[in-house]
Amino acid sequence: MCWIIFFFKLITVIEEPDTLFQTLTVLVKGHDKAVLDSYEFLASMAAKELGLTLAKVSEPPKNIERLTLLKSVHIFKKHRVQYEMRTHFRCIEISKVTGSTAQVYLEYIQRNLPEGMAMEVTKTPFIYMRSFSNSDVSVFHMLKPDSV
Amino acid sequence: MIWRSVDLRRTALRTLLQLQLNMAASTFCPVLLPLSRINCKLNGIYTLILLNKTAAYSTGLSVKKTGAKTGLPQRGGKELRRQIKQVLQPRTERMAVDQDWTAVYPTAASFKADAVPLPVRMGYPVKKGVPPSKKGNLELLKIPNFLHLTPNAIKKQCEALKPFCTEWPAALDSDEKCEKHFPIQVQKKDYVFAGPSLRHPDARIVTLTVKLSSLNLDDHARKKMIKLSGERYNKDTDTLTITADSCPLKQQNHDYAMYMLTVLYHESWKIEAWEKEKTRADMEEYVWEDSPSQKNILETLLRIRPLSEQQEEGEVREELLGREEVQEYKDSVTKLKNEGETEGNMQQYKEAVKKLLSI
Repeated sequence: MCWIIFFFKLITVIEEPDTLFQTLTVLVKGHDKAVLDSYEFLASMAAKELGLTLAKVSEPPKNIERLTLLKSVHIFKKHRVQYEMRTHFRCIEISKVTGSTAQVYLEYIQRNLPEGMAMEVTKTPFIYMRSFSNSDVSVFHMLKPDSV
Repeated sequence: MIWRSVDLRRTALRTLLQLQLNMAASTFCPVLLPLSRINCKLNGIYTLILLNKTAAYSTGLSVKKTGAKTGLPQRGGKELRRQIKQVLQPRTERMAVDQDWTAVYPTAASFKADAVPLPVRMGYPVKKGVPPSKKGNLELLKIPNFLHLTPNAIKKQCEALKPFCTEWPAALDSDEKCEKHFPIQVQKKDYVFAGPSLRHPDARIVTLTVKLSSLNLDDHARKKMIKLSGERYNKDTDTLTITADSCPLKQQNHDYAMYMLTVLYHESWKIEAWEKEKTRADMEEYVWEDSPSQKNILETLLRIRPLSEQQEEGEVREELLGREEVQEYKDSVTKLKNEGETEGNMQQYKEAVKKLLSI
């Protein structure tokens, strides 16, 4: 059996200018610290391989939510049971990324997000003169002439 | 009853393995799924179950072709028994040390004790015992594993992703340059989580930060802008922060924040009629001109050297104000009033007074 290989263009280059992000902060939340450690390894290694600058990898303090309930279905007020939910965090900060690279990195990270973990991504894009939103263009007359 | 069913299973397994091995030998394709549709003359349910189990992967064993196509296994076939034994053993026994692990776990999959050659133990140990082994361990199944994301796998995947990345422009290498060219910063948040809905209510919030020093403002406009922004202005970092969260969509909030900034800017440049009535109490910082301190110092200096008849009061005032010591005194008093009392400020005031009164 002979295999016929088809070549097709995976990468298309568009005329639109790439967005630039000053910082990209990824905050991951989970209940298990070991899983978070492994995920941090994945995220930092992926950033290194793709050539991104890791500004900071930190561990914000955990959040414990406790509740006290009655142990029994009926009466026995003096006997209670306590539960707690621990949420651990990990913060990965990447500085100076382009839009395309950020998209690639974030998609890779998010597709490999394990079950039971949540993520919050904070993006700070630069506002361009050549941006396509009307509101952005109107802002530039307010800035000092030497800045832009 | 149980004994009989075991016997049936064993014979069924033998037959089907023979079939499978024959199929593998005769054809080149390792896909064995079509096998499930073969009509076997043995017990229906058992055969199907066994087929699904054995058809998961190709054994890759070299098998001697037997003459009969679907014949029953030969009684006492040592070779066949050995092959069956090998297939029934866990896959870890046949793994090479330098194998390609990305082929074993190419994607996220649950932990398979027979496919992971590590002596992992997990769980709470029994009394005077050790944590349970990996065989049939539910704890290992429950926890998400990263076996598909070994450093090799990550490297390979990143290599494949590299062509889609773009480089950061070399002209913007420092933070100062970025701030100089892009003084307005807009912060947006996105959320990835599991829940009944994809939408997160906080995803619509947009925060706009800008330094007032980068805006084209004169003295009056700057003070008015600070007064208009109120709590949103941070004096220490000279930043104005506008948070827009009243609209349901992110783009709408972004537009609204930009609009707020534009409005603030234009309003701060306008001078209303009632702004002329600004009193000393409304002033943001202490101004020495026309203050009681100025009057006091002039009076004191005039008393030290009384006015002679040729000189006029206005001229004398100008001359006195122009003197260096008076200027120093003015600076020290302004500093004290605006910045508060510190060691340095008090010293400066002391020196200025001493100089002025020539003590």
